[in-house]
Amino acid sequence: MKAVSVSSAAISNAMRYSQTRMQVDLVKAQKEMDSGRVADTGLALGARSAQAVNFHRDLDRLNALVDSNALVSARLKSTQDSLGQIVSVTQDLVNALTVAVAGDSPDSVTAKSGSTMLQSLTTILNSSMNGEYLFAGTNTDVRPVEDYLDPASPAKAAFDAAFYARFGFTKDDPAAADISAADIESFITDLVEPQFLGAGWEANWSNATDQTIVSRIALNETTPASVSANNEGLRKAAMAAVLAYEAFSGNLGEEAKSAVARRAQALAGEAIADLGQLQSQTGIIQNRVSEASTRINTQIDLFERHIIDLEGVDPYEAANRVNDLMAHIQTSFALTARIQQLSLLNYLT
Amino acid sequence: MSLSSALSIAQSALLSTSRQTNVVTRNVADASNPDYSRRIAQVVSNAPGARMVVVQRAVDQQLFRQNLSALSAWSGQSILSSGLDRLQLAVNGVDNAGSASTAIGKLHNALQLYATTPSNPNVGATVIDAARQAVRSLNSGTEAIQAFRADIDSQIATSVGELNQLLAQFESVNKAIVAGTRTGTDVSDALDKRDALLKKIAEHVPVTTHLRADNDMVITTTGGVTMFETVARPVSFTPSPAYAPGMAGATVYIDNVPVAGSSGEASGKLAGLLQLRDGTSVTMQAQLDEIARGLIGAFAETAPPLPDAAGLFTWSGAPDVPGTLVNGLAGQISINAAFDPDQGGNVNLLRDGGANGAAYVANTGGTASFADRLIALGDRLDQPMTFHPAAGITAAASVTAYSANAIGWLENARQQATTSADTKEALAARTAEALSNATGVNIDMEMSLMLDLEHTYQASARLLSTVDEMLKTLLNAV
Repeated sequence: MKAVSVSSAAISNAMRYSQTRMQVDLVKAQKEMDSGRVADTGLALGARSAQAVNFHRDLDRLNALVDSNALVSARLKSTQDSLGQIVSVTQDLVNALTVAVAGDSPDSVTAKSGSTMLQSLTTILNSSMNGEYLFAGTNTDVRPVEDYLDPASPAKAAFDAAFYARFGFTKDDPAAADISAADIESFITDLVEPQFLGAGWEANWSNATDQTIVSRIALNETTPASVSANNEGLRKAAMAAVLAYEAFSGNLGEEAKSAVARRAQALAGEAIADLGQLQSQTGIIQNRVSEASTRINTQIDLFERHIIDLEGVDPYEAANRVNDLMAHIQTSFALTARIQQLSLLNYLT
Repeated sequence: MSLSSALSIAQSALLSTSRQTNVVTRNVADASNPDYSRRIAQVVSNAPGARMVVVQRAVDQQLFRQNLSALSAWSGQSILSSGLDRLQLAVNGVDNAGSASTAIGKLHNALQLYATTPSNPNVGATVIDAARQAVRSLNSGTEAIQAFRADIDSQIATSVGELNQLLAQFESVNKAIVAGTRTGTDVSDALDKRDALLKKIAEHVPVTTHLRADNDMVITTTGGVTMFETVARPVSFTPSPAYAPGMAGATVYIDNVPVAGSSGEASGKLAGLLQLRDGTSVTMQAQLDEIARGLIGAFAETAPPLPDAAGLFTWSGAPDVPGTLVNGLAGQISINAAFDPDQGGNVNLLRDGGANGAAYVANTGGTASFADRLIALGDRLDQPMTFHPAAGITAAASVTAYSANAIGWLENARQQATTSADTKEALAARTAEALSNATGVNIDMEMSLMLDLEHTYQASARLLSTVDEMLKTLLNAV
């Protein structure tokens, strides 16, 4: 009888179980060394996988936000540039009108500066980016303003109709020379102003909506991110330009013309002030967007670090593990081979 | 007379030596058979000079029982862990790439981009694409789960068939053992066979054994249901050819007692399979259904006081929005054709609302860059809603977080099952080793015995020839 027994099957299988386990571990450790992440995140994290999944998804979302913020920034940048251009053409008009008020320039030059201003304004307000009209409010698939100088323009027709209704003749009529400054001023206040600063703007001039585009710039922050052509500064600029063009292209007398020029000059000045404010508002939004992007980028770094904390493995540790396991496996191979040789049969003749 | 008595003693020594050699040879032949128990040839003297060889079988009941229960636990847990691995791959894909959570994340991102450029229908189409991916993930997840259940069901049927066969074999072997023990013949081989059968039975169902007179064995499950007592008790099961969400699986009966499915650790293949079919996969289906409900709800069109109506995501009960867990909703959910450009729909409905009639239009001005509704939809994906507790995750969460929790739930189950399977495997390997050490054959030991026997045989043979010579000398002298 034997006190301590060991069976031949147990001896030859002794290494088998640990051998397979080590090989499974080796495959895992190799994967971890290659990827720098745990081989099977689900198994390694268990219930915390939800956390990892959430981190990954939030990371994707934040990256998407950075991308969409770039779009918003581009739109705001174009808007800002356009506003700058509008201010500069309005300034040109103011200069031309200052000369006109002093009576030092021919009518055609003042009229020309009015029409140039109108053309520039129309072009700038109708500028588009990425298929969207910048100044259209939310109605970005429709041109915000029509060309006033187009004979078919409803705005032009409305102005002419108002003039005729007030005075009984057109501005090209010789009788127009007799219109007094007071008459023309009351005409401007009563009939022209509503066309620009009142309901007439949306009826004849603008297809834009007051409502501007709202964009999400951070996970829980939205901001209006465009400027509408219905902004008061833009209306005043357009009115100043129309007044300059119309007054100096007809047969108005000197007194009336200079009254209109003064009015237009004042309007253009107000427009520049309004536009300046608009520019600074847009700048504030631009700043918000870029700050949001910066913030998001910080968050992205943070999330990435969290994800590495959760899923990452130390590559040195993984490398050491691979080496250890390989050494172990080799030892166990060597042992197995030696054990197989270890048999009484070898010594029996 | 003493010479002839010496001769007969030598003869009987030769006989007993050859008997012992026979046992040694048998041991060596079966050295690598894990179900073989070492035979011990014991020489008993019953009369002066007369020796009888009695063959005994090495037994360690304690270790054997441990090995049986370790086998049950291991086979149950390994079935569970491999089943969960399969489910995870089939439903969530490698690195969760095909999971509903990933699809919802992509949908969210597409929605964000669309909200920034609402006038671009191409960007809108990417939202529809992302939504289609979410639908595909839920639909194929449902299919995978139900196919998995059907597959598990057929595995249960196979397992039950094997169990019945094993019990029938057990019956005949047990009968042979009882008969052999009564008549006093050597039943070692039959005992080996019975132990091997028991190990196989224990892989399917955890068992307890009782030995009665004449080596008669009774098997009950650990729950106390008789599986074998003189005759094999029937194990019955009616497999279902296909599964649909919400359909309950057929019960397995042992001796007409239903086998209850377990939760947590499973002991025995049958328990593991039942847990996968009736527990894990049913809960997962409920989770997918709840995710589908969450999506339908989040994208529903609202226009109080009118009832909410299904928007981008729709189902068989549309335009109603499901208010509670609907079995198989994840299989029914689809993209509303009114939104899908591929089906002649209009992407802009997503931005404007109004798929359910003019009352639901949010963008009343019809303007192209109206982003409010799109932003609100994105917010709704993040707003908490109440999910059904039957789906295993009770916390009120947003559909986005819920879909991530569903992954966490599965991975948690998988982690536990895998860790436990590893432990049980080690236990099974260790107990098998211990059992083999206690009852297995050591060839070196047998060979050294063989040397002894050889010497005994040689000595006896020499005695015989010496006595022969002595007798010859005597005869010559006469």
